[in-house]
Amino acid sequence: MEARWVERTSEQLRVSGGCVDGIECTTEQGVGIRVAVAGCGFGFAATREATKTGLELALARAVAVARALPASRSRTQLAPVPPAHGHWASVCEIDPFTLSLSERLELLLEAEALLRGDPRIVRGVAESLAVRTVVAFASSDGAAFTQERTECGGGISVHAAADGELQQRSYPAGHGGSVALAGHEHLLALDLPAHAPRIAEEALALLNAPPCPSGRTTLVLGDEQLALQIHESIGHALELDRILLGEASYAGASWVSPADVGTLRYGSPLLAISADATLPGGLGSFGWDDEGVTAQRTMLIEDGVLRATLSDRQSAAAIGAPSGGAARADGFARQPIVRMTNVSLEPGESGTLEQLIAEVPSGVYMETNRSWSIDDRRLHFQFGTEIAREIRDGKLGRLLRNPTYAGVTPEFWNSLEAVASAPAWRLWGLLNCGKGEPGQYAHVSHGTAPARFRDVEVGVLR
Amino acid sequence: MTVEGELALARRALSHLAGDQAQATVTHERSLCTRFACSAATQATAIDDTSVELLCVLDGHTGAASTNQVDDPGLADAARLARDAAAAAARSGTGAYPGLPQPQPTPTHDGYDRATASLEAAVAGSALAAAFAGCRDRGLEAFGIWTAGEVTMAIASSTGIEVTDAVTDAGMTVIARDHDGRSGYAASTAVAAGAIDAAALAAAAAARVSADERQRLEPGEYPVVLDHAAVATLLDFLGALAFNGLAHAELRGALCGAIGMPVAAPCISLADSTRGPGTLPRSFDAEGVPKRPLALIEQGIARAVVHDTRSAALADTRSTGHALAPGGSPDGPEPTNLVLAGGDAATLAELCAPIERGLFVTRLWYVNTVEPRRALLTGMTRDGTFLIEDGVIGRPLHDVRFTDSALRILAATEQLTAAQRLVSDTDLYGRRFAKGVLCPALRAGAFRVSGGSA
Repeated sequence: MEARWVERTSEQLRVSGGCVDGIECTTEQGVGIRVAVAGCGFGFAATREATKTGLELALARAVAVARALPASRSRTQLAPVPPAHGHWASVCEIDPFTLSLSERLELLLEAEALLRGDPRIVRGVAESLAVRTVVAFASSDGAAFTQERTECGGGISVHAAADGELQQRSYPAGHGGSVALAGHEHLLALDLPAHAPRIAEEALALLNAPPCPSGRTTLVLGDEQLALQIHESIGHALELDRILLGEASYAGASWVSPADVGTLRYGSPLLAISADATLPGGLGSFGWDDEGVTAQRTMLIEDGVLRATLSDRQSAAAIGAPSGGAARADGFARQPIVRMTNVSLEPGESGTLEQLIAEVPSGVYMETNRSWSIDDRRLHFQFGTEIAREIRDGKLGRLLRNPTYAGVTPEFWNSLEAVASAPAWRLWGLLNCGKGEPGQYAHVSHGTAPARFRDVEVGVLR
Repeated sequence: MTVEGELALARRALSHLAGDQAQATVTHERSLCTRFACSAATQATAIDDTSVELLCVLDGHTGAASTNQVDDPGLADAARLARDAAAAAARSGTGAYPGLPQPQPTPTHDGYDRATASLEAAVAGSALAAAFAGCRDRGLEAFGIWTAGEVTMAIASSTGIEVTDAVTDAGMTVIARDHDGRSGYAASTAVAAGAIDAAALAAAAAARVSADERQRLEPGEYPVVLDHAAVATLLDFLGALAFNGLAHAELRGALCGAIGMPVAAPCISLADSTRGPGTLPRSFDAEGVPKRPLALIEQGIARAVVHDTRSAALADTRSTGHALAPGGSPDGPEPTNLVLAGGDAATLAELCAPIERGLFVTRLWYVNTVEPRRALLTGMTRDGTFLIEDGVIGRPLHDVRFTDSALRILAATEQLTAAQRLVSDTDLYGRRFAKGVLCPALRAGAFRVSGGSA
């Protein structure tokens, strides 16, 4: 049996059109209790009543729902783990919750004002997010620990419209900007106002840019887009619960099988992927996962060959392995499932983005994710980005609008021919990773450096 | 808690913002989700939680705070946060929020089933057992979910709104799968758990699993028959892209400049309604504005977009009762109960009959927007994609990727089934929110396939 008390506090600020578009402050706390009932299965019940009576009722409910499960091959084994003890807290230099709302709004208002001016700008948004999650965990195995994580960040985005065309630009990333396991210092370091005029100009320029041409060509991906590429076509594909078909009805399965570990060539020899829950600043970092397994760093892919998967205690037990420490739950009212931690592309040795591009006679450079889709086995994907540039004779050329590219996971990663070096590597946070029923959003990070791929389909169905 | 209890809590929460223009919203969820894979139960989750959302309005700005600590200290903290947020926002100048709506009579409905609200775990257990048996009898394994929930809600506001609502919903999805990974899908959603027939779902899912080898379909444009679930997914995306009144007012919507114009085939009539049989009824939106049927497309002609109070002010019109959050979501309103009128085809076979070579799609998966102004989408087919040859559903296909405009597909629609089905993508993220699309299956003359998994 495990019990997790979770208190989560968040503040989301949003500015648009020179006004504060919304301020949402959320506080929730409660306890989730998971029980394994031999011969039946796992039961889980969540309650906000953290009283003796409330907890006893929740425990009884968890046992009752497990006992009502039909007799089947349900597994209730969990991979063994030494009981965790202690306290862990993430680094937070400037506590966002101690700053006044006005101070934080001022930064957003300044940045958003710099997005506007041209009548073709139909919407500008500056937003920030701060989340604090405090967890206390105890299990019948003897674990008892607490941890506190603080997340902070934000971004700006702008829409331009004219003559039936609509274009969007964002900084530093789409979908809410850049959020890290850090304090307000992370938001300040993004320097949103400095980048606002540039993205507004780019959104306007895209309105009249030629569309991304269709065909197969060399593709250079910016690091932010590459983060989502890794997330969808590597991270999810290597979740052991999916591999074992445990998520087949909703999130889907995987093209990888358990027997592939150690032999499957996932990508070119340049492909090295780590899962590292100890990475400073990563949204997938913690002291212990939500089953009490100590944070760890694991190489998932080395020299292009599959070496390990992401697992929790339940999926690991099914293959007789130790847990990979990747069990995470979205708040007190959800049970832990296999999630990514910080799944990253290790830096290469090909220098800077400019050096990657300098070796391309003809190709396309794409950055900032706008659209994403992949099949339920994580094979066929299609992505769209906010912006692209033509590459000619080793130099960036004209802007291209509505860029898209598509591929099949192993073919794509085997076409990887260059990864930029460590100075170009950075962490990108994702807040909207959905999985599980009832649904759970995981906050994860991916470290990436720009990379180059040969012979990729671009401009899908222009 | 009862709806009377929810209303009393909403009044008590509102009292902490006395003197302000404010709204208190109480939502109480009790739910059960039971998942299964490889014909074995995998997870059972029971949730009992209450949240209180407080909205404070000051000089055209809103500040919102929510909490699940419903004692007076917890409510006072939330009220302080909401007031501080509104005050901080107001320091940026006068805002655009027009103020909370006035009270209006809200409709009653029959969207609550007492037996479902009891959340008997044994009902879930029996449903799983029936699904396992149904698939096992056909040499297949069962995957899916059974879920039921009761959500009670109350809103009290300083403008005098005092409304309550109670709804139940239940649903089951069964995916039948063979050892080679070929799969079939069936799902059902209703107000009452008693309407969910697990054995029938297992049989229907199994019927979509063909023993034949899957063929590969080359990219190109094909005639298509989209089963109910596939149609619902397209309409759900169209709801967000075309009918969001805020996006429309800001020239970001797919129907900008097209209201009053033909945007779909004449056989397409689309409305948002919580009233008709087969829908998931709801009395009011997140601002307490009553839900009323609204025609969106009539015989192919675009008629309207939906509004909350915020977007309505921007468009100089009235709320249509489609707020997704107290004070209106910053992302705008959306229809949550789309109804596509049925046609004259008696069966799926009748839809397929005119197609010489095309494809049949059971459901779509991981759909996302490529270009919002064109309602251009991409996604995959899943759990039952077949070739239609000489008017008959035949050999199974590997899943294909489509990249096409939802509006273009509706414009190419030739015929629909008479029978509609409720397809729900009940939001199980965050607080449970039952919603769905009531729609027929359809045949369209053109569907763009851009790739595939094979």
